[in-house]
Amino acid sequence: MATLTRGGETAMIGREPGFFDALMARFGRVILIGLPLAFLVIWTMVPLIWALLASFKEPLEIYESRSFWPRNPSLDAYWTVLGMDGFGKWMFNSILVTVVATIVPLILSIIAAYAFARYLFPFRHVLLLLYLVPRIIPRVSLIVPLNDLMTDLGLINTYWVLYITYIASAVPLATWILVGFFKAVPREIEESATIDGANMWNRLRYVILPIAWPGVVTAAVLCIREGWNEFAFVLALVTETGMRTLPYALYMLKDSMGVQDYAVYNAFTILTVLPLLVVYLLLERRVVDSIVSGAVK
Amino acid sequence: MSTTAVRTGTPPTARERLGDFGWGTVPYLMVIPGLAFVLGVLGYAVAGGFWLSLHETDMFLMKTYVGLQNYIAVFNDPRFQASLVRTIVFVIASIALGIAMSMMFALTLYHVGFGKRFFRGMSLVPYFVSGIAAAVMFRFVFTTSGGFVNYVLQQLGLHTPSWLGDPYLAFMVSVLANCWFMVPFATLILLGGLQTVDKEIYDAATIDGAGPVQTFFKITLPMIKPMMGVSLIWVSYISFSTFDIILALTAGGPQRATEVVSMYMYQLAFLQLDFGQGAVLMVVLLLFNTVLSLFYIYFFVLADKRTEKGN
Repeated sequence: MATLTRGGETAMIGREPGFFDALMARFGRVILIGLPLAFLVIWTMVPLIWALLASFKEPLEIYESRSFWPRNPSLDAYWTVLGMDGFGKWMFNSILVTVVATIVPLILSIIAAYAFARYLFPFRHVLLLLYLVPRIIPRVSLIVPLNDLMTDLGLINTYWVLYITYIASAVPLATWILVGFFKAVPREIEESATIDGANMWNRLRYVILPIAWPGVVTAAVLCIREGWNEFAFVLALVTETGMRTLPYALYMLKDSMGVQDYAVYNAFTILTVLPLLVVYLLLERRVVDSIVSGAVK
Repeated sequence: MSTTAVRTGTPPTARERLGDFGWGTVPYLMVIPGLAFVLGVLGYAVAGGFWLSLHETDMFLMKTYVGLQNYIAVFNDPRFQASLVRTIVFVIASIALGIAMSMMFALTLYHVGFGKRFFRGMSLVPYFVSGIAAAVMFRFVFTTSGGFVNYVLQQLGLHTPSWLGDPYLAFMVSVLANCWFMVPFATLILLGGLQTVDKEIYDAATIDGAGPVQTFFKITLPMIKPMMGVSLIWVSYISFSTFDIILALTAGGPQRATEVVSMYMYQLAFLQLDFGQGAVLMVVLLLFNTVLSLFYIYFFVLADKRTEKGN
């Protein structure tokens, strides 16, 4: 893999490159990039595609060792999942919690990030650090004390417990992203707005946010991702079937189905994953650009 | 941090003040609401975890102070010792494989001549799949009858093992599933690093007679050190705190072959209802992860400030 670094062709500079050399260099390049690329595609897509294919198969067909394409593709498994007792509620729970755990952290983070990006106030480094340290705390490690606390507060099996914990874990992430984007907005633009009499709210609304919009979108998508996929908290803080979110429901599916109906199982998985993937695909460009540019850490 | 506080104590210039705002209470009022959530929930949980680890909880949820008794019990527990060793092996294997794959994918995405945007976007897809869904899909890819891997092996006429029934193979599969989930993000971070390296440096190196391997180790790697640090932090963070993937993939089995510390913590606290000892494992996880992260930050990010861009 190390040999991929540019130079497959330029290495020839020293001598006369013959036709054969050029051909070999080109061929070598194709192999060196083509093989890992093929591996990347297969590695990334196989689990998803295999689950997708199985969700269209008939239950017994899945166990046949030689079946790849569904023989009679059917949507039966999907209808079973959609008709499942509780599926609608779980989907509703997931959407509700995700929406709250996206909008609230975004508002809190936009305000905090503006302060961190624009004001030189004493202890700002310490305060920023307090925002960031939670990012290196494994979330699963917190479930024991959180369960204890929330039991004492009588919040187990409520939406509030999910809102609070989800918001708390999304705020540091969103703040971190937004501070970087806000700092990148040139001060001069804001200064001229101040001279024109814009107060802080107006500067935020009409100067900072429009310019730093890609950052807001990225932060929003990552908050949605956290909320939609969160598992440890809901596992530790919710026991009622009706309060489950989709990842928890998917996890419990194994126990609730006597016989392993893989078609239904995979259809459930696909339905869990799909909404978030749609959000990602719609905003893919901004998210990928933000991560590649190092704005998300 | 005290030095930085002193530095910020100097009054800001008019330019930094942005006209009508001084630096009175306003920034604090803006920062505090978010911080209240962070400290109120996460801060409390960390503090509460330490506190719990020093107490014993009886069946009526009454707590008595027992000093370091929980720690002594946990560290003498062979099941804990085994899970700690397993976690370390799991983390090392995941970091080695994960970083190697991320680097390979990043170089591939950097050099690929067509469909760059498409492949980049596709490579990040697993990042948006929940750990549970990833584990469920991996379990299905590796099931004995009906799994993709055994389908391929069978087509090739090879032996088809029971991947999740064998302790060693199951451990391997859980490392793979973990990598599937965490490699995409690390890949894009490294790709970002590769893109910041000035192409002329490569040309200069080639003219000086450096081969591709030499160029990679002598130029590329040192230049992307900070991004390497960031991806290492990410990869170790995910591997240390791996929970949902293992819970849904193997649930710690077979024969506890994949029971890492976070799994055992869940067992202790939520199934055996021993909150005190569960909290001890939390402290262990927390300390390991923090020390490792600080180590990376020190060696990769801070030690290499000069290549860092403003921001």
